[in-house]
Amino acid sequence: MLAYIVRRLFAGGILLVAMSMITFILFFAIPSDPAQFACGKNCSLAQRAQVRKGLGYDKPVAVQWENFAVGVFKGRDYPDDKSLAKSAPQLIAHCAAPCLGYSRVNLQTVTQEFKQRIPVSASLALAAFLMWIIGGIGLGALAAVWKGTIIDRGVVGISLVFYAFPTFFVGLFLLKYLAIKWQVFPVPSYISIADGGLWNWFVNLILPALTLALFYMAGYVRMTRAFVLESMSEDYLRTAKAKGLAPRKILYKHTMRAALTPLVTMAGLDLAGLLGGAVITESVFNYNGLGKLVVDSVITFDLPTVVGLVLLLGAFVIVANIIVDILYALIDPRVRVG
Amino acid sequence: MASYRKKALALVAAASMATALAACGSGGGSSNSGTKAGATGGTLTYYIKAALEHTDPQRTYVGRDITDWSRTVYRQLVTFPVSDDPTTATTPVPDLATNTGTSSDSAKTWQFTIRPGVTWQDGKAITCADFKYGASRPFATDVVTGGPNYILTYLDIPIDSKTGLPIYTGPYKSSAAGTAAFNKAITCAGNTITYHFKKSWPDFPLAIAALHMMDPYRQDKDQGDKSNYQIFSNGPYELQGTWDKETGGTFVRNPNYKASSDTTGSRKALPNKIIFNIGKTSETIADQLIADSGPDKAAVTGQSIPPSYYSQITGSVASRAASVVSPYTDYAVINFKRITNVKVREAIAASTNDTGWVTAGGGAKSFKEAHDIVNPAVKGYQPDLYPAGAGDPAKSKQLLQEAGVKTPYPLTFTYPSSDTMDKQAAALKQGWEAGGFKVTLEGVADQDTYYTNIQAPAQKDDVIWAGWGADWPSAITVTAPLFDSRPNLTPSSNGQDYGGYKSSAFNALVDQAQGSSDLDAQTKYLQQADQVLAKDVAYVPLDTQIFYMLRGSDVTGYKTDAASNSYPDLGVIGVK
Repeated sequence: MLAYIVRRLFAGGILLVAMSMITFILFFAIPSDPAQFACGKNCSLAQRAQVRKGLGYDKPVAVQWENFAVGVFKGRDYPDDKSLAKSAPQLIAHCAAPCLGYSRVNLQTVTQEFKQRIPVSASLALAAFLMWIIGGIGLGALAAVWKGTIIDRGVVGISLVFYAFPTFFVGLFLLKYLAIKWQVFPVPSYISIADGGLWNWFVNLILPALTLALFYMAGYVRMTRAFVLESMSEDYLRTAKAKGLAPRKILYKHTMRAALTPLVTMAGLDLAGLLGGAVITESVFNYNGLGKLVVDSVITFDLPTVVGLVLLLGAFVIVANIIVDILYALIDPRVRVG
Repeated sequence: MASYRKKALALVAAASMATALAACGSGGGSSNSGTKAGATGGTLTYYIKAALEHTDPQRTYVGRDITDWSRTVYRQLVTFPVSDDPTTATTPVPDLATNTGTSSDSAKTWQFTIRPGVTWQDGKAITCADFKYGASRPFATDVVTGGPNYILTYLDIPIDSKTGLPIYTGPYKSSAAGTAAFNKAITCAGNTITYHFKKSWPDFPLAIAALHMMDPYRQDKDQGDKSNYQIFSNGPYELQGTWDKETGGTFVRNPNYKASSDTTGSRKALPNKIIFNIGKTSETIADQLIADSGPDKAAVTGQSIPPSYYSQITGSVASRAASVVSPYTDYAVINFKRITNVKVREAIAASTNDTGWVTAGGGAKSFKEAHDIVNPAVKGYQPDLYPAGAGDPAKSKQLLQEAGVKTPYPLTFTYPSSDTMDKQAAALKQGWEAGGFKVTLEGVADQDTYYTNIQAPAQKDDVIWAGWGADWPSAITVTAPLFDSRPNLTPSSNGQDYGGYKSSAFNALVDQAQGSSDLDAQTKYLQQADQVLAKDVAYVPLDTQIFYMLRGSDVTGYKTDAASNSYPDLGVIGVK
């Protein structure tokens, strides 16, 4: 098992290196000039050249990537200008190893940005995850057990409605009616547990988490229902019934266990994706998480942040995949890793 | 400069994120100044949709931010006063200086005396050296970026032939010769500062009232780029804690601000506290201000109401809405490499359905038909330059016949695609086709690269949409940067002269305007230059954008004016 994990992590590391290279290449391949953006209006070509130099974008892409890679292990100074460091050291920002870069848009290192943003996205993702897993699997199993009844049709029908609505619509609807018009909930804004306590953190999370959960829950209702129904037709369950096992025991111990295996894969990847930020939900509710950072950094041509985010989100997915594979083995004795 | 409606474009474009001096006035039945003046006290909330790119005075270049900071934290040598009269509101009054400046040597030299008793938030006096240091910062073009940098081209400092930039490279690192040149160009004698320019700058006071580029800056507070979100005040408020780019900041009273040192009458500083709340969508801001409960009762915004909310702006909500002519003009430029026959260009102008364009864009609450690329509040505006209206197809057909071209004449129109712009473009297409053209619409979905694309010298479209606003209330900041071919046209880019327009007559008039020592003479030359553009049909003005903004019911003394770039004027707004 350990060898398997090490092997997967090594492969994941190589994948991350490749991803960082591709991001650098793509960043400079798009027909936009970050120096022009930073330079602003009334910017002559000469000024733009100076800005480009100041941003370090005047060097060949390979050199820039190499500097980035070295910075990950040794740290870097921004801007990397020795004469400026001598004449005006107060202008230099040091990015200690492991340095993923320094954002001149947000005026902090990329790792500092992540430290601020990850708790926001993680809070949102975990709260939504709990809602949709409990709701989705519970209602899906209920629909399967009561197949063909009004309960089944009702659960499946309603879940389809939420699946069909775009997230931004559900988010704006909840925000407009539950928070602004009827004032059942406060207008959400992220408050950390340290700043506002557990209750404020939780109350402000309900609407954005529910927005995400309603969308994901719908999919999980449908999938759980299908997997449970499929499992219920397995031979070994018929045998269990014939041997006189209690229906509840058959459902929980045998049916659900088999049905859960594919759901774990889905849940792992969905959670990993959400940890990387829920772009629309974070924008609608003004949650300054990783999703909003993705949008902002792309719009502002913030290369260090873009590269850092690609690596972080890639790492989330790689680690989630490894965990899912390990969980497979734990849930289903037929699966072995190695 | 581009408008907030096209924020995504503005972020990328060279023609982006600038300040403007706005026309004042009302439209759509709502007022630009409402509710009686209030008393001191309370907390005002200011909702802003997107993060500010800078709060550094030398880098601030957005009309809303310029006016907000002018009224709260950054005083200037001269400033624009609060006034309902656009002329008064765009005429500088002394602020940190004792007068509006004295010029000599054909407006190549300007002198100001700093008012005694003015201080920073830490109680230290504002000195001539602070002004000089502030003016030095934009020369560090690799550090202090994104702001208005007119001083680079005006201040009397030699140009480095290698870089094409002044030999002075800012306060952080510069050659001895560069520093000496700068010290010669700006001199301090006691409390008197003197600026020496290489060319006449008759509207210098207008420029420094409209922008913060020449504001004082304390050397000991400067950390270059790291100071981008630092706010070190000399106005009636100071920042409590730090500015958070994503969420904003809270301003409280500056104990070292002496109202007696401020004769502008434009900083009543009524609220005890002003909270800048950043990050909500336009829809959420509108929802909260319509609901008008809790702290939202004492809230204002610079964000226009989304058109989908217009139907909700009725009754008591309508009484809290202001409809104001903005400083931003949208226009269509004609590609001179493709449409070389002036009669064809005249036909395009004649058949432009401006009324349809405005109606399709949401009507009078969103746009007003434009008669000139110069905004009505800007010196040099000519109300009769273009007729606007629904267009004259018969005249257009006649012009095409006179041009001797085959009809229907093929025409492509490029614009940044959106639901609204698609409808507006369709209205133009209808008008042009009625006038004898066969129109292909080229909506560009990728708005981030729109301006970059239309700057390409090989641009293949015939008519190109663009937007602009003046940097200060003079046409010198409108037609010259947009149509003077000399600084714009290079082998790699058309700059802001998107249509590749080249005219020696126009350029000569711009030279005469720039060489004028007198503001009225300068304006006269610029009006003549604009007439040359009209004669050549270098552009067709489409609309002046309208700001349609809500406020809470506890807001008092609400006002938007030309001095505030049509945004809520924090100099006089209070809360109950």
